[in-house]
Amino acid sequence: MNSRVVRQALVLVALAFVPAIGQAIYFRDKVSWQSPIPASESVTVVQARAWGANAVWLDARPDEEFARDHVPGALSLNEDHWNELLPQFLATWSPEKKVVVYCSSQSCNASREVARKLRSEAQLKDVFVLQGGWEEWLKSKK
Amino acid sequence: MNSSSPVLIESPNADSTARSKSYFAFRLIEFILGGVFIYAGAIKAWDPIGFANDIDNYKILPWVIGVRLAFYLPWLEILCGLALITHRFYVGGLAILTALVSIFMVATIAAKIRGLDITCGCFGHASKNLNFSWHLALDLVLLATLLVVYVRAASGNGLSLKKNPYDQKT
Repeated sequence: MNSRVVRQALVLVALAFVPAIGQAIYFRDKVSWQSPIPASESVTVVQARAWGANAVWLDARPDEEFARDHVPGALSLNEDHWNELLPQFLATWSPEKKVVVYCSSQSCNASREVARKLRSEAQLKDVFVLQGGWEEWLKSKK
Repeated sequence: MNSSSPVLIESPNADSTARSKSYFAFRLIEFILGGVFIYAGAIKAWDPIGFANDIDNYKILPWVIGVRLAFYLPWLEILCGLALITHRFYVGGLAILTALVSIFMVATIAAKIRGLDITCGCFGHASKNLNFSWHLALDLVLLATLLVVYVRAASGNGLSLKKNPYDQKT
């Protein structure tokens, strides 16, 4: 391989570490460096069901998926219609309730984003992401 | 003469008008391409946690590696985009961007085959509504453009990476 290409690439690779490390230091307390969702912010289907009426279920999937099927009693709250749906949810929420957010599966990101926004923008405390999402809920019904 | 920056070579018999047009056309492409990668990198650098989640969605890398890459890759992308525009570390930047886009395309296709529900993450949340086909099309356009620019730069047509053979001092 052309030595110039390698040399230049190595310089760029090394230079990129400088801002990256600086940013990582800035975010060091804001990021879970070991796992994607801290254990304290996720919940299994079994645990969430055990909360019964003390839990508010939020569906973070797109509108058409929510309309097709959803957890009984769940409200729709997705990023696409955040401004319209958030007031509707807040009208039914009370501080003693736990909020359980789910999306389609373990791999989808929507529930994590909705949960993050609820904590940061709406300043809610007991917000949890459902492990396994809608797929896990369906499995638990079988 | 700076040996790390490409040199415009004009032979005595070249059609200088055609070569100038070709040169400026490719400079425009480099500006656009570099701008796209700078923008994409900046979007991801603004929200590294979101980007870490996007990487995690591909279920290829463990979180401990993915989250660190999420802090690193956007800056590498920005620097390589700047390399295209400024012609500093030019071929190195081209090579890295070509490799990154190729790896990303393979990862996206693999995720699709595995049936994973993912958002691209390539432009942060600006691309979260793009479906798989649009993602792939965008990646193919970027990859093709990078390859064209790289081949042209390496071949010495108009914009050469070789030392100017007409400059006797080098």
